[in-house]
Amino acid sequence: MTSKATVSTAAMVKREPATTPDANIPRAARRSRNQFFAFRGTLSRRAQILTSICASLFVIAAWELSTRLGWINSLFLPPPSVTVETLWTMITQKHLLWNAGVSTLRVWVAFALSVVMAIPIGIAMSSFRGVGAALEPIVDFIRYLPVPALVPLSIIWFGVGETTKIFLLWLGTFFQLVLLVADDMRRVPQEYVEIAYTVGARPFQMLKDVAFRAMLPNLFDNLRITLGWCWTYLIIAEIVAADNGLGFVIWAARRYMNTSEVMAGVVTIGLIGLLTDQILRLIHKRYFRYL
Amino acid sequence: MAPAPYLVFDGIAKYFGDLEVVAPTFDLAVKRNEFIVFLGPSGSGKTTLMRMVGGLETPSTGEIRLDGQPIREPDRDRGMVFQSYSSFPWLTVAENVAYGMKYRLDLTPERKEARLAHYLQLVGLSDFADSYPNKVSGGMRQRIAIARTLAAGSDVLLMDEPFGALDAQRREDLQIELRRIQQQDAKTIIFVTHDVDEAVFLADRIIVFSKRPARMLEEVDIAAALGPDRTLELRDSERFFKLRTEVLKFVRAAAGHDN
Repeated sequence: MTSKATVSTAAMVKREPATTPDANIPRAARRSRNQFFAFRGTLSRRAQILTSICASLFVIAAWELSTRLGWINSLFLPPPSVTVETLWTMITQKHLLWNAGVSTLRVWVAFALSVVMAIPIGIAMSSFRGVGAALEPIVDFIRYLPVPALVPLSIIWFGVGETTKIFLLWLGTFFQLVLLVADDMRRVPQEYVEIAYTVGARPFQMLKDVAFRAMLPNLFDNLRITLGWCWTYLIIAEIVAADNGLGFVIWAARRYMNTSEVMAGVVTIGLIGLLTDQILRLIHKRYFRYL
Repeated sequence: MAPAPYLVFDGIAKYFGDLEVVAPTFDLAVKRNEFIVFLGPSGSGKTTLMRMVGGLETPSTGEIRLDGQPIREPDRDRGMVFQSYSSFPWLTVAENVAYGMKYRLDLTPERKEARLAHYLQLVGLSDFADSYPNKVSGGMRQRIAIARTLAAGSDVLLMDEPFGALDAQRREDLQIELRRIQQQDAKTIIFVTHDVDEAVFLADRIIVFSKRPARMLEEVDIAAALGPDRTLELRDSERFFKLRTEVLKFVRAAAGHDN
């Protein structure tokens, strides 16, 4: 009930700010309080950032307290303070940044390979019935294979070098991505395609100038999400066969029950993910300003 | 002597599998610069017939000829204006209009520039040239589409309920404007709608369709009754009202026309 009333009030306020009925409470204050939990309500940029920071701080504080108060043995869950300390010594003494760089490079190379292959194949799958019919069963089959199950085969095929790692990452993302791309293309309104044809575009011009351009914002979003999955497979690949990279660092630390180093490694991955995602979001906002 | 028909529907029928969409056979001869309105219930085959002119559907039987040439595929001599998704959101208003000329090799860049300015002016969008479509009104978005087809150099405009999503006021403005543009630029228009007022106000000739499968039930010569100029005053006149009532009767009959 309340949320419904809030939404309608907000809509009214937007349209004609002068004629709000009520009230004893200042309008701005009431609005901001209600908007916080209003379904699809609006929240100022500053309030959003503040909320994000507060929530994160809360989680970190709860984590710190849970070991400080002895609820959890710090050997199993090192508190943030210890993790940060370890992070620092690992950066200064154990080449953590170099290992992170190696991992990031692997992710990007494999991901780039996936993208370069998935975009044309996905577009072809959704644009041409024949290609779709031929590839869909194969893609669906491989898509459901768990990547870890293919690690032994991959090692037999490619040994324990970089090829295996790139292959496993590619395997984990390409088949997912190809379907996402096909779906993005399918969702391009038929009207756009027909506009192109009725102003004299050839099929390739239609694809390049209209269909691809129309799917780009969704495609970008899907790439951003899929990139995150790469990290999952990377750690598996690096645990199994590597002598560098974050997965190796984490796995090596585990061997000595060095949980704070494990945690520091995990946190590094999280931080890289957070940073990448924010940068990609920023690019999205810049580049697709018309949305 | 009557001029040779410009656009000819000759023995058209259309089936999608077992589904009969256009009943055999539909025949119609359209004069150059004539404003034809296809009026009929939603989901009848009238849009399909219009799309055939665009080359976006092929007739199951018969053929459509434009200036004596059978229509086989879409090209820029026949422009489309859709109800929704009628402009590209990633292009500015001016870029959208200019897109109509993108594949024209016969125009120099200067010529394109001049045409762009001309058509933006014609549809009243010069002040919004650099805005993105999501920042302008629904009526303006339809103007973008009209200007694009004009810039492309289309002689035939195919309009599929283009004003269907607009409010009454904008609708009326655009109808007056479209009629003016059609007279000024001498375009042949096929306009699909289920709105009787709109049909009577715009058309030189109305074709009233049955429910699916589409067949022509009536042909109403509006030009003979209302003349070429359509103004707001006309809209409020007794003449208009009478004609509208007459057409409405046909449409009601069409709605009750079950097989």
